[in-house]
Amino acid sequence: MTTTTEPYSRPTTSEGITAFFRSQKAIPYLLLLPAILVILSVVLVPLLLSFWTSFTNYNLTKPDTLYNFIGLRNYQRLMGNAEFWWAFGRTFLFITIALNLEMLLGLGLALLVNKITWGQRTLRTIMMFPMMFSPILVGFQFKYIFNDSIGLVNNALFDLGLISQPIPWLVDGTLANFSIIFAEIWMSTSIFAILLLAGLMALPREPIEAAKVDGCNSWQVFRHITLPFLMPFVYIAMTIRSLDVARAYDMVRIMTNGGPAGRTELLWTLMTRTGYQNSQMGMANAMGYVSIILSIVFTFYFYRKLTAARTFMGGAQ
Amino acid sequence: MAEVRLNKVVKRYGKLETVHGIDLEIAHNEFVVLVGPSGCGKSTTLRMIAGLEEITGGTISIGSRVVNALPPRERNISMVFQSYALYPHMSVRDNLGFGLKIANMAAPEIEKRVNEAAEILGLGPYMDRLPANLSGGQRQRVAMGRAIVRNPDVFLFDEPLSNLDAKLRGQMRVEIKKLHQRVKTTVIYVTHDQVEAMTLADRIVIMRDGHIEQVGTPTEVFERPVNVFVAGFIGSPPMNQLDAVVRGQMAVLGDGTGVPLPAGLVLSEGQQVVLGFRPESFAPRGHSLHWEGATIAVSRPVVIAEPLGTETILFVELGGKDVQGKMLNPREVHPGEELEFTLDLSRLHVFDKASGRRL
Amino acid sequence: MSAMTIEKPWQRWAIRIGVFLAMLVLTVPGLWVMLTAFRPNIEVLARPAIWIPQNWTLDNFARLFGLSASQQGLPVAQYFINSLVISLTSTLVAIVIGMAGGYAFARFSFRGKGPMFLAFMLSRTVPGVALSLPLFMLWARLGIIDTSFGLILVYMAINIPFTIWLTDGFFRQIPIDLSEAAQIDGCTRWQAFWKIEFPLARSGLASAAIFAFLTSWNEYALASQLTRTTASKTMPVGLMDFTAQFTVDWTGMSAMAVLIIIPALVLTFIVQKHLIAGLTFGGVK
Ligand SMILES: Nc1ncnc2c1ncn2[C@@H]1O[C@H](COP(=O)(O)OP(=O)(O)O)[C@@H](O)[C@H]1O
Ligand SMILES: [Mg+2]
Repeated sequence: MTTTTEPYSRPTTSEGITAFFRSQKAIPYLLLLPAILVILSVVLVPLLLSFWTSFTNYNLTKPDTLYNFIGLRNYQRLMGNAEFWWAFGRTFLFITIALNLEMLLGLGLALLVNKITWGQRTLRTIMMFPMMFSPILVGFQFKYIFNDSIGLVNNALFDLGLISQPIPWLVDGTLANFSIIFAEIWMSTSIFAILLLAGLMALPREPIEAAKVDGCNSWQVFRHITLPFLMPFVYIAMTIRSLDVARAYDMVRIMTNGGPAGRTELLWTLMTRTGYQNSQMGMANAMGYVSIILSIVFTFYFYRKLTAARTFMGGAQ
Repeated sequence: MAEVRLNKVVKRYGKLETVHGIDLEIAHNEFVVLVGPSGCGKSTTLRMIAGLEEITGGTISIGSRVVNALPPRERNISMVFQSYALYPHMSVRDNLGFGLKIANMAAPEIEKRVNEAAEILGLGPYMDRLPANLSGGQRQRVAMGRAIVRNPDVFLFDEPLSNLDAKLRGQMRVEIKKLHQRVKTTVIYVTHDQVEAMTLADRIVIMRDGHIEQVGTPTEVFERPVNVFVAGFIGSPPMNQLDAVVRGQMAVLGDGTGVPLPAGLVLSEGQQVVLGFRPESFAPRGHSLHWEGATIAVSRPVVIAEPLGTETILFVELGGKDVQGKMLNPREVHPGEELEFTLDLSRLHVFDKASGRRL
Repeated sequence: MSAMTIEKPWQRWAIRIGVFLAMLVLTVPGLWVMLTAFRPNIEVLARPAIWIPQNWTLDNFARLFGLSASQQGLPVAQYFINSLVISLTSTLVAIVIGMAGGYAFARFSFRGKGPMFLAFMLSRTVPGVALSLPLFMLWARLGIIDTSFGLILVYMAINIPFTIWLTDGFFRQIPIDLSEAAQIDGCTRWQAFWKIEFPLARSGLASAAIFAFLTSWNEYALASQLTRTTASKTMPVGLMDFTAQFTVDWTGMSAMAVLIIIPALVLTFIVQKHLIAGLTFGGVK
């Protein structure tokens, strides 16, 4: 901060830097410095390393291969690898189906709970129940519940007389995919429901009343007033969720680990198998990059929507 | 002694300059009000004096010290914020004593000063409450109490009354005035409300767009506004301003009405001017405030009448514009009724049309 | 809200039943696991199913900690301690660092603020599995694989972005006037922070801390690759080891699941209010 307009001798670089770090302007950077350092060393540097590795045919059992630059060959082989494409497609589908269903179910649940006049706090606490479960626990829980011989689901169906043969929930490919989606939805619908409920509670009354006075029916009020107002909350939930969709890995790892016969293989399980079991770190890191880009695309998409919705809301208020 | 001196003070946010080199001298124990439309740089100026904003250029001194480089705590000032900024997690007592505690004052002395302040402001019954449990007026008092306990050289107020309802605002205005008479200190008070400015100030500083337009006592700025902006800003209802052309010793309005110009005012033939007169000076015959000096009379039908009880504001058309007149000792007036108005020529303000300056 | 639309009785009942069913689906699976933890293995394996527990037992827990006759292969006590130490330490550091960052975003405007915030958030987007690959190589070179320290470092990095997001929201809720008033009252900026802003943000910070703790406590993908032995294995990794054993011990695993869930349950319950406020505020305002 120079308040003088007189000519002064230009500070040398080192003087300039010292002066900068002593000045008021440096405070935010100094406050952020530890965070930046940690992220740089624990996220960025490893990512650079894995970026490099994805261009080598690095094999864990042969350390020298780390310096074997093979260009885009890992990526080329991925492009031609049916197993990878299946996993990629399944992962994309999995994320899309899960996020959308969670959003719809969460919205429905929030609207229902919002209609209940008493005990809302208790209901909200109950809704938080699945959020307390770590993905690995959710996986274990549904591995147990969908177990064909002693699982809760089959037991119940038996005793209700609905089936005579156990349903192989986790052994049949289609059913296994269904079970995994079910577990995922069980785990994450609450996040949507709770955030949307918070949104519903913050909903201003006047626009709704105005719309009713203007002759809107319930559906029109919901469509034109409630829903637009809720959208930022939807995007927050979507952003938060797409930040860590990959935690579904934990769940799938314990439930099926990609089986049976690769029918529930997701990008994440395929990656660890390639990297740790088959020791093909170069290839695994290439997949890692694909999965990172997938996550970033989803998160960024919703973050942009969130920012847009936020400015839109700011204008309305 | 705590006079405050601003010397060519400039504030820039990046490339955007919001305060353009203002000069101002405030005497010891003077009550100065900075007034102007919102966004004109009043708060910024006050916050530079407080040390909450960096001063981009120029100097500010308090007493004999240049304070540019001093943090707020070394300036011996106190400030009442528009939001009151009471510490929500502290009782009223702790709010009042916080500054003294920070200064490591002994507990008995803190106690004594806090009680004194509480007494002055009538806070006794609320001392152990949290700010959340106080009404707006009480919060306002606590904020003032927190400012006075520290015996500052300068008191800064940033729109302290704008969060109160109209009635309470009137009461607090009186209290602030009393407080100043009791604890004599230099006060710099920011408001956008010209009524507050007029009633409180020893001297008013009228600002616009980061410049000072006029500095003067309430009477001076009311009686002799230096330009059309000040003329329009001070006074309520605002001064009527009509475009006119000089013809001989007359100013001719758009509708051909001629208004004699004050004697001694030398203007060139054909000069474009703005004629200003306050609603008080334009009244139906028999209902006006002043009688001395010359008047001219015009008959006009009333467009709208706003009865206010002790007076009625009348809207009529003059010189192609709506102007307001003030009827004292009012009687009922119906729209369309033709009344004869007298314009008090001794209170006519003439401004140059091009520059807006007083002539 | 509910007062605004007048429902017919059948609608009201439909809503109640719908909510009841939803709550059932959300709670029953978890409760079933918890129940299993307190039942003997034979009862769980019985055909036809025994729905109402006949015998309650703590034996499953005793076995986990090696207190019972039938020995258990897993050093769960050690896993528990590892989890606790790793989660607590990483949380503490992440909160301090994240709070500083959140404060910077909430209170200062500076060059590169927006992109920097986005960069922090994007760093959180990297899937744990994908990050585990290079970290595995790097930590092995540095000799901190299979150490608590290695995992603590990683969990710090995971938690910092989210802590920044939350604390940024919490600090922005505190009017800046308060800090300014304190500075006028004689505080340095540092004092104003500790005496005014910090106490006001405390409950928010506590929930950010709990959130960070839970993230570390529940993490599996990274821990499973960066830990090798009892020196650093955590509870989720231990649970996974369990399933890899030959005989499936449902009750033992359920008991372990209960050990994992209880701290999470208690802590989430404590912070639920702040957590929701924090998430929505951070995003909307
Ligand atoms: N931090 C800031 N950055 C950029 N411009 C600002 C900032 N603070 C105030 N301004 C601008 O400075 C001008 C004066 O503001 P202010 O002093 O608050 O006006 P007021 O007279 O209403 O108190 C306004 O146009 C405002 O937009
Ligand atoms: Mg202002």
